[in-house]
Order: sequence, then structure tokens, then C-alpha cells
Amino acid sequence: MKLDGKVPSGPIEKRWSKYIADLKPVNPANKRKFKVIVIGTGLAGGAAAATLAELGYNVHAFTYHDSPRRAHSIAAQGGINAAKNYQNDADSVWRLFYDTVKGGDFRSRESNVYRLAEVSANIIDQSVSQGVPFAREYGGYLANRSFGGALVSRTFYARGQTGQQLLLGVYSALNRQISLGKVTMHNRKEMLDVVIVDGRAVGVVVRDLLTGKMESHYGDAVVLATGGYANTYFLSTNAQHCNVTATYRAYKKGAFFANPCFTQIHPTCIPVSGEHQSKLTLMSESLRNDGRIWVPKATNDKRNPNDIPESERDYYLERMYPSYGNLAPRDISSRAAKRVCDEGRGVNATGNAVYLDFSDAIQRLGQQVIADRYGNLFEMYERITGVDPYNNPMMIYPALHYTMGGLWVDYNLMSNIEGLFVLGEANFSDHGANRLGASALMQGLSDGYFVLPNTINSYFGKGKPQTISTDHPEFKKSEVEANERINKLIAINGKETPTHFHRRLGKIMWDHVGMARNEQGLKLAIEKIRELREEFWQNLKIVGTASNINPVIEKANRVADFMEFAELLAYDALERDESCGAHFREEHQTEEGEAKRNDADFSFVSAWEYKGIGERPDMHKEELNFEFIHLAERSYK
Amino acid sequence: MKVKLHIWRQNGPNDKGKMVDYNLDNVSSDMSFLEMLDILNEDLILKGEEPVVFEHDCREGICGSCGLVINGKPHGPESGTTTCQLHMRKFKDGDDIFVEPFRSKAFSIVKDLMVDRSAYDRIQQSGGFISANVGSAPDANAIPIAKNIADLAMDAAACIGCGACAAACPNGSAMLFVAAKSSQLNLLPQGQPEKNKRVRAMINQMEKEGFGGCSNYYECEAACPKNISVRFIAKMNRDYFVAVVKEGTKV
Amino acid sequence: MFKYLNHVVISKFVMAITGIILILFITGHALGNLQIFLGKEALNKYAAFLQGLGEFLWIERIGLLVAALLHIITSIYLKLYNYNARPDKYVVKRYIKAKLNSRTMIWTGLMIAAFVIYHLLHFTVGSIQPENYKYKEIYTQNAYSVEYNANATSLSSQDNDNDANIGVNKILYERHDVYKMVVLGFKNPYISIFYIVAVILLGFHISHAVQSFFQTLGWNSPKYFTWIEKLSVAYGYFIAIAFLIVPLSILLGIIGSNV
Repeated sequence: MKLDGKVPSGPIEKRWSKYIADLKPVNPANKRKFKVIVIGTGLAGGAAAATLAELGYNVHAFTYHDSPRRAHSIAAQGGINAAKNYQNDADSVWRLFYDTVKGGDFRSRESNVYRLAEVSANIIDQSVSQGVPFAREYGGYLANRSFGGALVSRTFYARGQTGQQLLLGVYSALNRQISLGKVTMHNRKEMLDVVIVDGRAVGVVVRDLLTGKMESHYGDAVVLATGGYANTYFLSTNAQHCNVTATYRAYKKGAFFANPCFTQIHPTCIPVSGEHQSKLTLMSESLRNDGRIWVPKATNDKRNPNDIPESERDYYLERMYPSYGNLAPRDISSRAAKRVCDEGRGVNATGNAVYLDFSDAIQRLGQQVIADRYGNLFEMYERITGVDPYNNPMMIYPALHYTMGGLWVDYNLMSNIEGLFVLGEANFSDHGANRLGASALMQGLSDGYFVLPNTINSYFGKGKPQTISTDHPEFKKSEVEANERINKLIAINGKETPTHFHRRLGKIMWDHVGMARNEQGLKLAIEKIRELREEFWQNLKIVGTASNINPVIEKANRVADFMEFAELLAYDALERDESCGAHFREEHQTEEGEAKRNDADFSFVSAWEYKGIGERPDMHKEELNFEFIHLAERSYK
Repeated sequence: MKVKLHIWRQNGPNDKGKMVDYNLDNVSSDMSFLEMLDILNEDLILKGEEPVVFEHDCREGICGSCGLVINGKPHGPESGTTTCQLHMRKFKDGDDIFVEPFRSKAFSIVKDLMVDRSAYDRIQQSGGFISANVGSAPDANAIPIAKNIADLAMDAAACIGCGACAAACPNGSAMLFVAAKSSQLNLLPQGQPEKNKRVRAMINQMEKEGFGGCSNYYECEAACPKNISVRFIAKMNRDYFVAVVKEGTKV
Repeated sequence: MFKYLNHVVISKFVMAITGIILILFITGHALGNLQIFLGKEALNKYAAFLQGLGEFLWIERIGLLVAALLHIITSIYLKLYNYNARPDKYVVKRYIKAKLNSRTMIWTGLMIAAFVIYHLLHFTVGSIQPENYKYKEIYTQNAYSVEYNANATSLSSQDNDNDANIGVNKILYERHDVYKMVVLGFKNPYISIFYIVAVILLGFHISHAVQSFFQTLGWNSPKYFTWIEKLSVAYGYFIAIAFLIVPLSILLGIIGSNV
């Protein structure tokens, strides 16, 4: 099957505007007759739901949370990029485009990225008009900070809570539409299946988490904005409930899953403290603006960091990457941390941590300035570790953070299934093999506010799709299957909890499909995943019933999908026999240990087609053509 | 360390509910409070008992899902900290720990420690927004906003909507939440056109939801995990006074 | 008229505004009382001045009564409303910031209200200790002289006593002997202690009330608010002391020992 990205032609600066000019929009009077289902109410889904409703569509939005405001977008700390060039430091749409493609190690679609860079400025305008309190200078104008992977200062921020503030902006826009009756909000409902009739997505089956009842909902289009799958690794910076179920079940229904092996490790997380750990806490990468990363030069140096003299410290990022220094992109700094820890120079009781030191910055700028910039992060660090970071260096270690892969979409953000759109982290489109800091918020909002509300016309412009009754056998079949799966989980009646299996799955993934991967490890991982999955289906224990709120069932149902999905992830990592961005194959590295891309053989998107549980999925390739950016080695030296 | 837990168990909104005791050994002081409950729940599942239901998600203090009353204080003994960020090192070996759900007339109990906080959503829906359609925004720097005003708006905007204010208030009042939400927008120039309508609508909805009134106990401020100041309540009162004088109470 | 009770925040405004009216009155009252330390003449002159206000006195009285009634009715309504807003109580509840004065406003308020009724009956209507209430200072004039009778209780008794005198006494001026009434009243230790307790409660009530007034009406700038909170407590002390110092001094014989 040939994958068509439906990318417009012409000069890249003109593509999006020409695309919009050529659209055939739906007659405003008819829009309310189009019912759009939006799954997920984070930045992408919430923004899409609100904006589509503003345009006049009849929107039904779903979240498994008690409120749209809880979506995990809320946890993004550092900021949002936009090519505003308010700092007069030679930023431009082109530069943001270039940085993003380069940061993604040339595995993203140029046209999508250019569009993202183009609308980035509008996102800031929109958010400010909603009352998002971005940081400002004394003159009253917006402040910026710099971020990893860029040499300009283009990141807008609201203290260390940028994601929260942007999400609250989205949430307020959504609330307005709910109060106007244009969005029907369905809280505490989890999507368990996409219903497809004649190759077209016609609706979803959701489970009411309070009553356990399955419900069918018809939609003229279905929009998935359900986030990423970092929780496949059990320990990640994602929220506890983040899961792959929605996108994975769409995949099982025929949507292609693209580049699942592109999983990002974030370099600045609080290190693991023990077996009990339920999640990892990220600290904004913005800390790297003023903090210096180091480890002792000697191996196994157990001295108090404040007692280690300057001459015995190795500021390894500054040493290895003089021009970017501590701001080297995420994948590069994460792997550098792993390397120094593997050399035995890691700190903390576990030996899996490096120092992030603010003493220079505090000396230079004063504690007050540092507190203004990072106060809440410092507080958070102290709360979790019990160590005061103003007087001791922080300890950090990389953790799973973001997944660039996701359902395959074309330029319209529509998957290979008619009428099924995918936004935000749930799609694969903009970040290639690695995402730059402060770009996730940008992509989510760009998709939700500006892209989908236009591109949905490419589907709706052909006329109103025929309404399918929720009594249609396909709906009934999906409901029955979703119910049967839950009953099957309950019926196992084994001896281990869902969390137990999840933790073990995470360990396999982190050990073999983590920061550095190799063929042997990946093959072993696939084997181990299969064994674990088998054990899961024989030895899982669930208590309580499915007809009341039951977090154990919710969790088991999600873990069951992780068990299948993990294998797909490992397949993709195995198949991509090159190193690029966050995907590091030990077989392919330069002498200095940097990722070595293979453009001749792997300049494509791998889009996987489901073939059955335990069966090898089919891979389809979308070739990536770089017409505007010259493929180059990604150097941050 | 060992702890003695006394946890509120309630099967549903109409169940009566009661405190149930659990002993937990092998608690590490590095655990978060919720990780400690995770361990309890894992034990309960293995024993075939239903685990304690509590709301949680991000576990980094920002989503506002979690919220337990621990030893009589919403979010527990540490100030400016959500339940998920509270760590067991704040407790001593052998401590008795009482865990209850957030209580207010407007928060009904879903199960055990999980409460229905949709009233907060409805308050927000009543007017907690600026009507700015996508596409209509001017350049973000078109209106300069003094840094102190932007900072103050950010102080208010830090609210995570957890409900601790109403849970802490002896009156079960949501004034701090409503104040934070209305003040954020009412402080900013973008929020001025709808200022009066917003504050009237939100207070009106708050009353409809059954939250109590403010008696200036300031217990909300003390319980707020984001340290939101009661001065926002004063600001909201002022805004409301002006709005009611100008436009009456009818929304 | 009571429709405002449907709006909790407006009810709070009513509480704040009526409260501040009462506080202003109480402040004037306390300052007026302190004139007892200036002696009998000063106090009785002041009392006579107040009583001589005529219709203004009644406007003030009605105003205060309305303020007090609104304050009380609103507070009871709010208390019941707020109580119902938290129908399920916590098994364990610890307060962090809510001080005792803020949590007991309704109770101190109701006790103060009960006391005020007693107080009015005592010193305004005179039905608690009628024997002390009856004293008057009377200046009379007859053919020979102007006389001052400090221990008069009523004119008629005066008349009877003076029947044997030559000429008819003409009342030049008569005023209520508040000084004597107060001193005699507070010489009773039970009454004094009762008053002292009541005004301490009043001070306690006010220590929360003043800052509450600023908060409720929205005058809460972070720059000043810590001062306002301190002022509130200081004001509570001031009011309590200003009131209790009178019965205490009488009880200890510092003033009024000659009565």
C-alpha cells in the first residue's frame, strides 16, 4: 500500500496558505449538522473541540478524567516555542522550522513542520487573548527564555507551569462552548474502540468509568487526541492514567501506527529512589539554562558534592559540546548521562544520577533571580528528595518522557482510515525522531486551534457523511468485544496485580528498548514481552465488579494493551537498523558515540499495520523527501 | 517504618461509610503518600479485598486530581503541597494516620476517598473564560501588561482546582477557588469587557452548587497546595460589589 | 427586604457594613464611658448631653437597632446556611489558620447580643436595679437660693420634703445621676464580673471583626493587610480594656469610693 501524505506542492512558505485558500469550507448553516467526536481534552483535543464548536460544529468531547482540566498537558513545565522574534535575535519561521527538522534528526515531514512553525506565533496571540499569564518583562512585554536545541530565545513561559496555563486557556475556551451548548462534555468515559463501517470511522465505544456501562456514540468524524504511550515503560514522567489504549485499538482496527520506536528520554528527571516508585518526576529542561551538569572525574567518588573541588569535576556536556554545552538536545544529553554513569561515575546511592549544579548561577545572579526563575521547581525537588537545591547540587537522571511516534496521519491530520483524525502527541507527524523542548505544547495547540479546524474541511467538504445508527452491527460488535475483554480479564482470577505486570513490562522495555538498543536485546525483548503477556493472561488478579467504579479493571485493561503494544514498539526499534534522534542503536554510532543516521536506507516513516496478536505486523513506508533542508549530520558541537 | 492507617471507606454516594483500620509495615520514608496507599492497595488486591479508591493522576502536584484529608488537614501536614507530593518522611514510625475524603455539600462522595468535584467545572463554565474566538486575537504584544499585574494574575492562575479550599473551609465554601479563577481574568486587560458579568455569574453558580459562604477563617489559604492568597477573595468581593451596584444580581 | 440573604456574598457585605456601624458606636460609647475618670460632673454632663439630643437620639437609636438586627439576623442565617454546606463532618479535623475568634463569631456574637439586652435594661431602661436608676441631680430655685440636691430620686419626693420650706421650689435643671447609677451598679461584684466577661467577649469578637470588614469589602492589599490584622487584634484589646477598666476601677475602689 502506498502511503500518501497528501502534502501540497509549491514553495514551502506558500503551502499552508495556498492549502487554506483552496479548501472548500462547509456552509456555516450546515456545520451544526456535522457531529464531531473528540477523544481526549488536553491541549490538542480540548483546543480542537473548542475551536470546532466556535466554528459551529456539533462537538462531543470525551475524557476519562473527572474534568477536562486534568489532562496531562497540564504537567508541561518549561514553555512553548513560537517564532515571534520578539527578542530580535534573528529568529524566524524558517529557523524554527529548521531547528525542529534538525532536532528531529530528519525523520519528520517538512511540510508539516513548516506549518507548525508558521502557526506557532498565532498560538501565543490566541493564548494571551484568553488570559494566559505568560511571564513579562517590566515594560509589560512578553519574556522569553532559551531552550535545548536552539540558539535563539523563543520560548514563552508562565513560571514553571506553562502547560498548566495553556491547558487552562484551552479549558476556558472549552467551558465557554459547553456553556453555549455547542460542546457536549462526557467526563469519566474512556474510549475502548473506534467503530469503522465501510472503511470510514463512524464513532466510538466508550466505557462509563462510574457504572462500567458501554456506550456507543456516532460521529461524522472521530478525532483522537489521546496523548502518548510513554507509560509502556511503567516508569515515565507521564501521569498514572496515560495509556495507549485509544490509539492502539484504532491501530487494531486498521489505522497505521507510525514510528513507535521514537520514544524520548528526558534528561532532567529526579532519580529513582526505590522499588516502590510509581512514576518519575520531571524537572523542566529550562533548568539547563542556568544549571551546569557534571559528575566527578574519578569513578566511584562518594564524597559530598560540595567537597569535590572544581578541578575534579567533569562538566561533560560543556566539554563534549562546546557550542551548545548544557543546552544540547534531550537525546544527546540523556545518552551522555547514561554514558558517564555506565563508566561508574554516576552519583546517588544507585549510581544512576548526575549533578545539576546552580552554585555558579546563584553566585552570578543571586539567589533571588534563581528563585524567580525556578522557585517552584526547586521547591518540588526539595519536597520529593528532602534535599535543598539552593545549597546542594540537584541530582538528575534521564527518564521516559514523550513519544514522537503515534498514529500515522497525512497533511490533513487524517489517518489512513477515512474520518479518523489524530492530533497532538497521539500522532507521529512533527517531531521526527526527537522532539525539541517546548515544542510539544506548540504542536498540540497548533493541531487543535489552527490545523484541524481547517483540514477537517478536506473531509467534510465532500459533503455530510451518511449518519450510521448506533444500532448498527459494527457498534454492537465493538460493545460486545469491549465487554468480553473486561470479563475475560476478571475471569483469569490469578495471583498478581495489574501493577505487578506493568512494572515487569516496564523493566523489560527500559532494559532492552530504552535509551540504547541493539538487535540482540530487541529480539530478547520481543520474546520476553510475549512470555510476560502469556503470564499476564493466566495469572492476573482483579477484585471487585465491572459495574461500579473500579480502578483495578481500568488499569488491567490498559496494561493488557501495553502488553501487545510493547511488542510493536520493539519490532519498530528492531526494524529501524540505524540510529537517529532518540532511537539509538548501539550498532550504529560514530567513534565519539553519537547517533549515526542512515539516510540512504531509512529516510522513511515506518507505518505499521496490525495483523493479529503475536503476529508480525506489516510495515508500510512513507518516504521522506527533504526538498528544502539539506540533510546533514546532526551536530551540536 | 510502620504506620496505622484509618481510612474512610464508602461504597457509593448513598452508602453510609465508616473508618476502617489497616496496619502497614515496610513503609519507606522516600515513598510518596500515594505510593504508600499503592502498597496498601496491592496488598488488598492480593487478599481479594477491594482496594481503596482515590483520585490521582500526574503525581507531580499539578493536575489537581488527588486530594485527601490527612490527619484533619486537606493534603496533609505539609503546607503548599498536594497529597501526591507529600512524602512519608513527614511522618514518624508508628504514626496513626487518618485519611478522609474532601467534604463539602457540593462534593458528593463517589466511592471511598473519591469525590465528585464537577461543581468546580460548572462554576468555570458559568463565566470563567474570556470570549476570544480562535482567529480574532491581536498580536500578543499589542497590549503591554505591567509585570506586577501579570505576576499577580499568574499567582491566581496557579490554582489547580483540587477542591482543598472547600474541603478545608468549615463552611464548605469555594470562595478561594472562585476568587482565584475570576481574579486571574479580571486582573488582565483582556478580561475587562466581561469583568462584571464574570464575577456575578461565577458567584451565582457557586451559590447554586450549594457551597457555603466566606467567614474569613482563611483556612482555605492555609490548605491551598498552591498557596493562593485570600486577598483574591477580597478582590473578588470588591469586583462583585461594583458589579452588583452597576448591574444587579440577576445573571 | 431580606432578599439579599439569597446571596451569600451580599449577606457578607451586610455583615461588614452593619458591623462597622456597631463598631463605630461602640468606640464612641467606650470613649464616653472613660469620662467617668474625669469625675461625676463630666460624666453626668455628657450623659445629659446625649439625652438632650431629642429626635437625633432616636434616629441614632433606631439606626443602631436596625444595624444590630440586620447584623444578628444575617449572621444567624449565614451560620445555618454555612452549617448546611458541610453536612458531613470530619472524623479528625485540625485547623491551621482559622483562629478561635473567627470560629466563635456566632457564639460570641449571640452572647454579646444577650448581654446588650441586659445592659439596656440595666442602664437605659433601668429595670434591673431600679433603686440605682432613680437618682437624679436636681437644681431647684426658691425665693432664697439655688439648691443642688445630688441625691434626689424624684421631684415629687423633693417637693414633699420641702413643703415646710418657704416658697415654692422651681426646678431649674434636672439630670440623671449616671455616675451614681454606674458606681452603685458596679459595686456589686457579680454584676461587675458579668460585665467584664461580656466586654472581653466583645473585644474578642472585634479582634476578628475589624480585619474581616476590610477583607469582605475588598480592601485587602498585601502591603497593608498584615497591619490591618494587627490593628484588628489591637482594636479588640482596646475596646475590651476601655470598657472593663470602668467596672474594675469601681470594684477596686479606685473611683466612686465616695458614692
